[in-house]
Amino acid sequence: MKSFIIKLLALLMFFAFSSVSATASEHEAVSAHAATQKMSTHQEETYQAQSFGSMVVGFLKSTGIVALMDPDPNELNAQGEKMSDFHKGWGRLIMMAITFLLFWLAIAKGFEPLLLLPIAFGGFLANIPVANIAGEHGFLGVIYNMGLANEFFPIVIFMGVGAMTDFGPLLSNPRTALLGGAAQFGIFGTLVGAVALSQYTDLFDFTLKQASAISIIGGADGPTSIYIASHLAPELLGAIAVASYSYMAMVPIIQPPIMKALTTDEERKIKMSTLRHVSRLEKLVFPILVLMLAILVLPDSTPLIGAFMFGNFLKESGVVERLNDTLQNAMINITTIFLGLGVGSKLAADQFLVPDTLAILALGVVAFSVGTAAGVLMAKIMNLFPGTKINPLIGSAGVSAVPMAARVSNKVGMEYDRSNMLLMHAMGPNVAGVIGSAVAAGVLISIFQ
Amino acid sequence: MENNLVLEGVKFMFLGMGTVFVFLGIMIGAMNIMSSVIHKYFPEPQSNADVAPVANAEQDKKKIVAAITAAIIHHREG
Repeated sequence: MKSFIIKLLALLMFFAFSSVSATASEHEAVSAHAATQKMSTHQEETYQAQSFGSMVVGFLKSTGIVALMDPDPNELNAQGEKMSDFHKGWGRLIMMAITFLLFWLAIAKGFEPLLLLPIAFGGFLANIPVANIAGEHGFLGVIYNMGLANEFFPIVIFMGVGAMTDFGPLLSNPRTALLGGAAQFGIFGTLVGAVALSQYTDLFDFTLKQASAISIIGGADGPTSIYIASHLAPELLGAIAVASYSYMAMVPIIQPPIMKALTTDEERKIKMSTLRHVSRLEKLVFPILVLMLAILVLPDSTPLIGAFMFGNFLKESGVVERLNDTLQNAMINITTIFLGLGVGSKLAADQFLVPDTLAILALGVVAFSVGTAAGVLMAKIMNLFPGTKINPLIGSAGVSAVPMAARVSNKVGMEYDRSNMLLMHAMGPNVAGVIGSAVAAGVLISIFQ
Repeated sequence: MENNLVLEGVKFMFLGMGTVFVFLGIMIGAMNIMSSVIHKYFPEPQSNADVAPVANAEQDKKKIVAAITAAIIHHREG
């Protein structure tokens, strides 16, 4: 038996070698033939013999140092437009420094590292001179056109988020959905503010579409922001996405002061009754129910809500554990990498280092703060009515940013009463906020059709 | 034309917030109806209630066995 196997192996090897050598010799012959032909026709036309000195000089001219210090006047940006010398030289260095700042925030401070790292590295790559990685044929450009220009990646992310979301807390206390609605005031309040400032001051000049795309940052929902930005104002996508994800990462810094300023000590110590048990059937029917409502009320919101509820339905069905697992892990991870790099490609100096970016960053933080405040105030308004009291701290979780905002509510609550666990109560408005911002996005899309 | 843009923004705000609240309001109503319907017509099998009787039956059997054994022993000795 053994000898038979050895013979067989020997035979196989013999065949393998003979075939390889045969193809190799054939290949050599062909390539040699082609090479001689090329030499005689092509080579002499395009390639002129150079002295070694001029070769070295030519190479030095193509280095990054020269490209940054003394940029090529004919260099075009990723869109094939001319760029200013500032954006080719110092602008790129400044942008690289900004991406390093983002690295630091992501690694040392733990700010949404899952997204900020791919975005920041994408931005780093996009600012490399000569290589044009963010251009149409660079890999960042390919990624951008593959899934961001056509709004595909945010939808896939939404499926994954749906598969990760548990609507149990919302189902056991449906009232808290109103908090998620109130927080959307951050979007529309900022929209009015941005339009008013464009109209009456010279600070910036945004159109209604641009202002809408910017103010959706107040929804604190990265995928929705990207979806709306690529729909209404693709030229602002980079700044909007960066602002949106940076502020989502900074939820633990931005929100607590606002929450504390708007609530009294007693309100912060309100304890909420334990949530009732939610049956499996309720959880299974809920995604279909919401999707039906979306179909009837606002079909424009169904791409986002549909994808979200698809993911959630798979999870709650309990019979497709493999698909659910893929959506929650492999699929959302891959898409996050691509989404991050694609957004990073918009951090090229010529697009990011413009006055508009500063305006977007400023409006974004206003939108975020207004949304947080509106959620807290809504909880206080709801407490004026009879019924069980709501701790206003969970109102701030109405801005989506799942689950970060809910964790912040919990943390602030614990600061005032160690035994007050608000996390699950805050998850209700939190997931309602996701639905709310998808509805708000649907309204904006329907207006501009 | 001057005031137009801001007015548009305010219109957006009312339409947007109105839609969001109406949507969530209907959703809350629908959720409450759904929950009550499900609780009324499709209650979840109470897992505790199922387990307890089985355990009791087991215990009862053991008690009976013990009683019979005791009776047999008593009978033999007697």
